[in-house]
Amino acid sequence: MEYIVGLLCRSGSANPLFSTEDAIEANRFMKGIEAVAGDSRGVIGMANFIAQQIEALGAEVCYHKFLPHSKNFHPLKFFTSMTNDIAVQPNGTATNFGINTIGIVRAPRGDGKEAIVLVTPYNSQRVQSNELLSLALGFSVFSLLSQAAWLSKDVVWLSADSQFGEYAAVSAWLNQYHNPVFLSHSVVLHTKMYGANHIYDGNSEKTEVTAFKRAGTMAAALIFKVGETRRYSDRDSVMIYAEASNGQMPNLDLLNVVHYLAVHRQGFRVNIAAFSSLLSSAWLRVIAEILHTLGSVLRKINPDWKLDIAVPDYVEGTANLANSMYNQALGVPTGSHGAFRDYQVDAVSLEFSPTFHVKNENAKSLFLLRGGRLIEGVSRSVNNLLEKFHQSFFLYFLTAPSKFISVGVYMIPFALLLAPLPIVAAALADGSRSMEKTVDKLIDNGKADDIADILQSKGGSWKWLRAAKVLLVIQLWAVLVSLLPYYITQIPDATPMQSALIWAVLSIVVLISLSVLFGSPYSAGVEWKLLKATMITSISIGLGLMSIINFATAQLGALIVIPMCLFSRPLKASGMNFLPRAVLLASNIAFAVLGFPPAALLIMKGVSKGSWSWTIDVGDFWVWMEFLWEWSSATYLYLFLVHLPCWLLCILVLLHPCRQSESKMKQE
Amino acid sequence: MAIRYWQMAAAAVGFRLVLVLFGGDLHLASRPEVSTPLTSLRRLAEGYWLKQASVSPYSGSMYHGSPLLLSILGPLTNSRPDGHHAHIYCSLIFVAVDFLAAMLIRATGHKLQMARNRSLKSLDLTKAVNDSVNVSAGDVASLIYLWNPWAIVTCVGSCTSPIENLMVVIMIYGACSRLAPLAAFGYVMATHLSLYPAILIVPVILLLGYGPDAPPPKVFLIKGSSASKSDESDNDKTTRQRVVQQFSWKPVLHFIFWLFIWSCHVLLLSSVILKKVGGLHEMFEKTYGFILTVKDLSPNIGVLWYFFAEVFDFFRNFFLIVFNMNIIFVVLPLAIRLKHRPCFLAFVYTAIVAILKSYPSAGDSALYLGLLGLFVNELAEMQFTFFLFFGYIGVSLLSPVMHNLWIWRGTGNANFYFATGLAYTCLQTVLLVESCAHRETRPSSLLPTCQAIYSSVAEPIKS
Repeated sequence: MEYIVGLLCRSGSANPLFSTEDAIEANRFMKGIEAVAGDSRGVIGMANFIAQQIEALGAEVCYHKFLPHSKNFHPLKFFTSMTNDIAVQPNGTATNFGINTIGIVRAPRGDGKEAIVLVTPYNSQRVQSNELLSLALGFSVFSLLSQAAWLSKDVVWLSADSQFGEYAAVSAWLNQYHNPVFLSHSVVLHTKMYGANHIYDGNSEKTEVTAFKRAGTMAAALIFKVGETRRYSDRDSVMIYAEASNGQMPNLDLLNVVHYLAVHRQGFRVNIAAFSSLLSSAWLRVIAEILHTLGSVLRKINPDWKLDIAVPDYVEGTANLANSMYNQALGVPTGSHGAFRDYQVDAVSLEFSPTFHVKNENAKSLFLLRGGRLIEGVSRSVNNLLEKFHQSFFLYFLTAPSKFISVGVYMIPFALLLAPLPIVAAALADGSRSMEKTVDKLIDNGKADDIADILQSKGGSWKWLRAAKVLLVIQLWAVLVSLLPYYITQIPDATPMQSALIWAVLSIVVLISLSVLFGSPYSAGVEWKLLKATMITSISIGLGLMSIINFATAQLGALIVIPMCLFSRPLKASGMNFLPRAVLLASNIAFAVLGFPPAALLIMKGVSKGSWSWTIDVGDFWVWMEFLWEWSSATYLYLFLVHLPCWLLCILVLLHPCRQSESKMKQE
Repeated sequence: MAIRYWQMAAAAVGFRLVLVLFGGDLHLASRPEVSTPLTSLRRLAEGYWLKQASVSPYSGSMYHGSPLLLSILGPLTNSRPDGHHAHIYCSLIFVAVDFLAAMLIRATGHKLQMARNRSLKSLDLTKAVNDSVNVSAGDVASLIYLWNPWAIVTCVGSCTSPIENLMVVIMIYGACSRLAPLAAFGYVMATHLSLYPAILIVPVILLLGYGPDAPPPKVFLIKGSSASKSDESDNDKTTRQRVVQQFSWKPVLHFIFWLFIWSCHVLLLSSVILKKVGGLHEMFEKTYGFILTVKDLSPNIGVLWYFFAEVFDFFRNFFLIVFNMNIIFVVLPLAIRLKHRPCFLAFVYTAIVAILKSYPSAGDSALYLGLLGLFVNELAEMQFTFFLFFGYIGVSLLSPVMHNLWIWRGTGNANFYFATGLAYTCLQTVLLVESCAHRETRPSSLLPTCQAIYSSVAEPIKS
C-alpha cells in the first residue's frame, strides 16, 4: 500500500532569487579554488581560500580541526554516541588532521535561536572537479543567502573535509557544536603547536577566526554533493539518501519538500537507492504481471479499486522498498546525514548526478542555476517554518521518492506475526499445568500421607523457574559472546578469519563452562513445553523491544525467528503421525540451519554471488559484525541478545531427551 | 544449603563491588527509574554544597531529603576520585547497607519460620513442621533481595533508596523479634526519610502485640474445642492457650515510648543541623510537602506525574487529596483482613506504597519483592507467576527504551513512556492481588493442617 503525500511546505516554491549572477559567482569561486587546489598548500590552502571568500561576503567564519576518530567497540558505551571526547587530542602525534571551514550568516530577521545547516563535503587530499563543483554550488547559495533580507534562521555552511570520510568530518563538527570542550590554557597552547595556527599566517584576526562559532539550534540540515557525471541519462538526476543510524529517518516533510522542488520546479529526476538485482529479476516481473492482471480484473468489477499497479512501477517500488528496509535494518547511516540524526536534527543527503561534461561551461551554468534554486527553495521552506516538523512522520519505508509506507500500515503484519507468540506461550504453560492436574487427581485417589511429598516434588506453579534458569544462563552466555569481540580486537595482526575462529571457539568454551557451572539444561529435568514457552515469551519481549528500536530489523528477524520458535519440537517427542512428524522434523532442521547467523550470512552470500567459497565467508562474518559494531548498530545487539539465544534454545528443545514426560506418562 | 547461601550472598556483594569499582560511570543516576527527586544523590550533593555555603539546603527546589543524610553522606559526595564512579564512597556504603538489609531479612525469615513451627507444633502437626523446613524462606528472601537486578541497579545508581529500604527492614525485623526500641528506630527513620512507611505502624503494632504470623485464630479454636472433647491434661491446654496469643499491650506501650524518644532525637538533630540555614518548618514543607503535593512532574515509573501534568489546575487540589487518600483507604480493610499475619500485612503495605507513592523508583519494588520471598512457602501455589516474571522483565527493558525514544530520539512522546508505567502498575497490582488472594483463600501450608484437623474432628463424630 502506498500513500501519496499530502502535506507539503510550498513556501519554498515562490519565485527563486537564485539568478545567473549567482551562477557566475559560483564559476568564479570554482576557478579560484581550482587554482588553489593545484597549489602545493593542499588542505590548508583550500580551507584558507574558502574562509577568505566567506569573509568577503561579510559572513562570520571559523575553522574546526579534527582528527580521525578511531571507531572502537565499547561494550558499555553502545548507545551513548554523544561521548564527550575531545576531537583534537592534545598530545596526538598525528600530523594529519582535517579542517572543516564553517561560514555563518546571522539572520537579519531572526533572534539567532535556530539555524539551517548546509553541508558540502570535499576531499582536501584528492581534489576532484565534481567536488569543487559542489563547493561552488554551496558557496553560491551561501552568498545568495548572506544577502537575503528575509532570512529568519541563521545559515551555517559547513564545507566538510572528507579525507577521513564524510561522516567523520560532520560528526566531529557536530560533536564540537553540541558538546563544548573547555580546554585548559596549556592544552590550548599545546594544540596550537602542532595544530593549524599557521592557517591564517600573519593575520591579525587569528584568534577570532580560530574560535569555534555557533549559531542556533539546528532546524534541518541539507547535505549536497555533485557526484560522477552520468552520460547515459537524459536529465540531471538527484539521489536522495535519508537512512540514519538504527533505522531512524528524517521527517518525511523534509523529503517531500526536496522531492517537490526538485521534480516540479527544477526538473530533476529524483531517485532513491534500489536493489539493482531486484530491478532485473525475472520472478519479480512475473509476480508484478500477475498482480497487474488481477488488479485490472478487479478494476473491471469495481472501478474504484485502483489496484492495477503498472509492472515497472511495481518492480521499481519493490526494489526501492527492499533497499529501504535493508538500510534501515542494517542500522548503519547511508551518509553524513546520519550524524545529524544523532542530535535529533532532520537531515537529508542529495547527490546530484549531472549529465554534462565538466568542461561544458554552458551546461555547467545551467546546472548550477537549477541546483542552486533547489537548495535555495529548500532553505526557504525550512526558514519559513515556525516550529519543528511534526513528529508523526518519522517511521516509514520509502517505496519511491514520493511514496512511502507508514508505520500504521507496516505495523499490522508485524503485529499479526507476533500475535500467536503469547497465545502459544500461554497454551504451553497451561498445558503443563493441566498435566499437573491429572497428577492432582492421582493424588486425590491416593493416600493423604503422600501429599506433602508430591507437593514438594511438583514445585507448585513455580515449575517454570527451572526453564527460566536455563533461559537466563543462555542469555548470560549471549551477553558474554557479544562482548568477546572487544577482547578479540585487542589481538594484534589477526586476520578476520582467525578472529572469527577465535570467537567461535571462545563462545563454545564459555557455553561449556557455563553449563558446568550452572548444571546442564537437561539434568534439572526441564519439561520441553515449559522451555518452549519460556523461549517464546523471551522472543516476544525481544522482538517487541526491537520493533521500537529498529522496526526493520525486528520485521526481518521475525520472519526467521517466529517460525523457528513455533515449529520447534523435540526430535524424540512421540504422539504424532508419520507425515506431519516428518514435515515438522524437516522444517525444524531447516530453520535450525537458517537461523544460525553465520549460516544465514553464508547462504545469503552464496545466493547473491552464486559462488561457495567457505573460507572467505567465515572471515566475512567477522567483517560484517565488525562493521555493525563500529557503527554501534542495534542490529548487532539484536543478533546476539535476541536471535542467538533463541536459536540455541530452539536447538535445546530439538535435542530434548523427553525422559521426564515419558516417565510421567508411565506414572499415570 | 548454608554454605551455598553464603556463596551466593558473597557473589552478590562481589558483583555490586565490581560494578561500583570497575563499572565506570554507567549513568544510572540520571535514569528516572532509579533515582527520584527525593533520593537522588546528585541533589544531595547540591544540597550539601548549599549548606556549606550557609544557604538553606532546601532553597531552589533541588534537595528534598533528610538533613541527617545531608550530614552523613554529604561530606562523602565532595571527594571525587578520578576515573571512578562519581559517588564511589557513597556507593560503597550502599553496598554495605544492602548487605545489612539482606541479613536482616534473613533473620526476619528465621523468626517467622520459628514462629510458624511453634504454632504448627502446638496444633500437633509435627509432620508438617518437618516437611516445611526444606525451603528456608529467610534465605530465599535475602537472596532475592541481594540478586534482584533492581536492587543492584539502585545500589550502584547513586540514590539513597537503599538506606530507606534498610530502615523499613530494621523496623520489620525489630517488630518480629519484639525489640521495641529497634522497631521504633526503624519506624521513625523510615518515616523521616520518605513519609510513606508511616502506615506501617499498623503491622508493627500488630507484630508487637500478637507476635509474628500465625494461622488464623479460628484454627486454634477448632483444634481447642476438638481437643477438649478428648481427655487431655491441663498442662497441654495452658500451653495452647499461650500460643493463641492475646493482644499484649506491654511491648506496644514500650514501642510508643521509644517512638517518642526517637522522634525527639531526630527532630532535635535536624534542627541542630538546620540551625541558621532554614528551620524545621522549611524542612517539613520541602520534604513532606514536596511528597504530598507532587510538585516535581518529571517522568518516573509511576503514574502520578503524567496525571498531574495533564490535570487542570483547578482540579489539582482535589486530585491530590484523592491520590493521597488512596493509600490511607486501603490501610484499614487490609489490617482487619490480615491481622493474624502482620508480617504479610507489612509486605502488602510496602507494595501498595511502591505502587501509589508520588515518586516511585525501582528501589521500592526491590524492597517489596525481597519481602515477598519471606512467604515463599505459602505462595508456592500462586497463579500467573510465569506471566508476572516475564512481565517484570519486559517492563524493565521497555522503560529505558521508551524513555530514549521520547527524550533523545524525539520519535516518541510522553504517552510511550507513560504506557510502560501503566503496564508496570498493572503488573504490580496483579502480583499484589494474586499474593493476597492466594495467601488468604488457599494457604497451601495449611492444607495439611486443615486436613489433619478435619480428620481429628471427624473421627470422634464418626465413632
